[in-house]
Amino acid sequence: MQTAVVILLDGLAYGMVLFIISVGLTVTMGLMRVVNLAHGAFAMAGGYVAAVLVAAGMPFFAALVVGTVAAGLLGGLSEITIFRPLYRKGELAQVLMTFGMVFVTIAGLTFFFGTDIKRLPVPDYLGGLVDIGFRTYPAYRLFLIAVGALLAIGLWYLIEGSLYGARLRAAVDNPRMARAVGIDVNRLFTITFVGGCALAGFGGIIGADMLPLEPFYALRYLVPFLVIVAVGGHGSFKGSFVAAITLGLIDTAGKFLVPSIAPYLFFGLVFVLLLLRPHGLWPAKSAG
Amino acid sequence: MRKRLIGLSVAGVLLAMTGAAAAETVKVGVLGVFSGGFARWGAQFQQAITVYQKHNGDSVKGNKIEIVYRDVGGPDPAKARQMAEELILREKVQFLAGFAFTPNALAVADLITEAKVPTVIFNAATSVIPRRSPMFVRVSFTLAQDTLPLAQWAAKNKIKKVVSVVSDYAPGHDGEATFVRVFKEAGGEILDAVRIPLSTTDFAPFFERILQQKPDAIFLFGPGGPSSVGMVNMWAQRLKPAGIQLLTTNETQEIDLSKIGPAALGSIGSSHYTETIDTPLNKKMRGDLEAMFGRDTVPDTASVSAYDGMHMIYQVVEKLGPRPNPDEAMKLMSNMKFDSPRGPVQIDPATRDIIQNVYLRRVVDNGGRLQNRNFETVPMVKDPWKEWNPEKK
Repeated sequence: MQTAVVILLDGLAYGMVLFIISVGLTVTMGLMRVVNLAHGAFAMAGGYVAAVLVAAGMPFFAALVVGTVAAGLLGGLSEITIFRPLYRKGELAQVLMTFGMVFVTIAGLTFFFGTDIKRLPVPDYLGGLVDIGFRTYPAYRLFLIAVGALLAIGLWYLIEGSLYGARLRAAVDNPRMARAVGIDVNRLFTITFVGGCALAGFGGIIGADMLPLEPFYALRYLVPFLVIVAVGGHGSFKGSFVAAITLGLIDTAGKFLVPSIAPYLFFGLVFVLLLLRPHGLWPAKSAG
Repeated sequence: MRKRLIGLSVAGVLLAMTGAAAAETVKVGVLGVFSGGFARWGAQFQQAITVYQKHNGDSVKGNKIEIVYRDVGGPDPAKARQMAEELILREKVQFLAGFAFTPNALAVADLITEAKVPTVIFNAATSVIPRRSPMFVRVSFTLAQDTLPLAQWAAKNKIKKVVSVVSDYAPGHDGEATFVRVFKEAGGEILDAVRIPLSTTDFAPFFERILQQKPDAIFLFGPGGPSSVGMVNMWAQRLKPAGIQLLTTNETQEIDLSKIGPAALGSIGSSHYTETIDTPLNKKMRGDLEAMFGRDTVPDTASVSAYDGMHMIYQVVEKLGPRPNPDEAMKLMSNMKFDSPRGPVQIDPATRDIIQNVYLRRVVDNGGRLQNRNFETVPMVKDPWKEWNPEKK
């Protein structure tokens, strides 16, 4: 029982990090139909900015804000300069271009910071262990779960309850119709892209404890990010949340119970899910 | 202008010809990784070689020692072989050296046997390598060699039950096999042997499982870099509070230690090189590495091996001249005994592998800087794998 609680907490914490980083990707892929393999690079950029600032003496939470904003700005800049010309180019061009960007970031970060891990220490009051009744548990993971849950609620309200959300959903489901009723879809694209990249940066920073920052970050974690988007359904906020939490829990429980076959379990589940629902758990209406 | 240039070059050629009788250039090809995720290996090789040449000059008895570097880019056997071929055929190197990864070393075995090029291994630590070619000599270590004294120490120090946790690839299997065998022979009990896939990002569940098994200690082997750092951190979060000891080989080596942080405090390691070894040569090497390449340079096992490897090549040129017979060179190297920054070392003529002290050490906080500190020296350890596997190739 107690073990089950710990597995649940570990699975939730892992799932939350995956969710925060990939939710931006799922919305941009659903909305803009752009295959953005460089999404992890924005998470990594946020992480590196924060790591440099913390090393220079800035408090963790201030660095978290600056890093998130930096990732968003970088996202906006690349949307205007790199992604816009790509929208009409077809998937192969998009894959090649964004995959090339991944290599550029790897080379750039290696040049400036070397290939070692960039440490991003969490503040002391979060770095310790807390008593959860029957044993001690890392405080930081509880913090991750809380932040992830709050963020999910906030995003849910933003997308399901606000005017921006209504426009966004309209544009995802049917961009032509949305344009026809006077929604400025291009501007919506840019705003959403910036938001998605900022979220990725945010996730890269608070998740650095679990997914350590190093130049190959964007490549190393590309598969889990894409899996979440695929399983959740392109453009589906709800789907990516459920997919991230489920896969986080399954992966964690699998490693605990049957460590030797855990990776097969994870991908086996993905395989079955996609077999049953090829467009993901909650596909946007026009997808496919 | 042109005439003068021709005149100069003619003079140069004449000069070179008169000099040639007395002095020649000895070429040493170094295969390393200088780019990509493992670039630190190449940097360590190159820096240590530069410091060795600063200490001992770049020529031996007037024969210039020229180092030709090649970047393999990672564990890439096909490329390693192709580059070794190029170094031997086009650059006409007399020695090959380097090799961070086992597959790269194994890939050139046939080639160096056929071409008779003495090859000094600076890192690759799988036991079998020197058996694959009579032209191999290793100056680094083997994983079995570093693990053996650790398992013996654990058995003697009230550690009864151990879970072995290794990364799921060849050196991890070597480490696991050695620890399990030696610890069991000494009367210990192995509760479980876990192999963690290389692609793992969250280590928590593996360590949670170990917590349930209630061992006295874990034996840990990681692939270096992010994964090793993550595993040691996870030990500190989940197992350390329960009083489970951490036993490692090189996971807390200096280059990773600053990334692990205070979590590493209290762990026990065993290695053939510790940064705080108190030999004059170690101080001299470290001092110059820092002076030439900056304070952040972390001299580590790979630097020491490269430094010693150069020493062996210099010795051959010193004793046998610039164009040594390869078999004689191998014979000479296989019988060498000298003082390394890590302490006394010798090459075992039967296996062409190094015999050296293995140090048991603890991570301590030395005024804000984490360091490994030796507390016991196991003198002159041989690689045990070759005795256990007399036939395997």
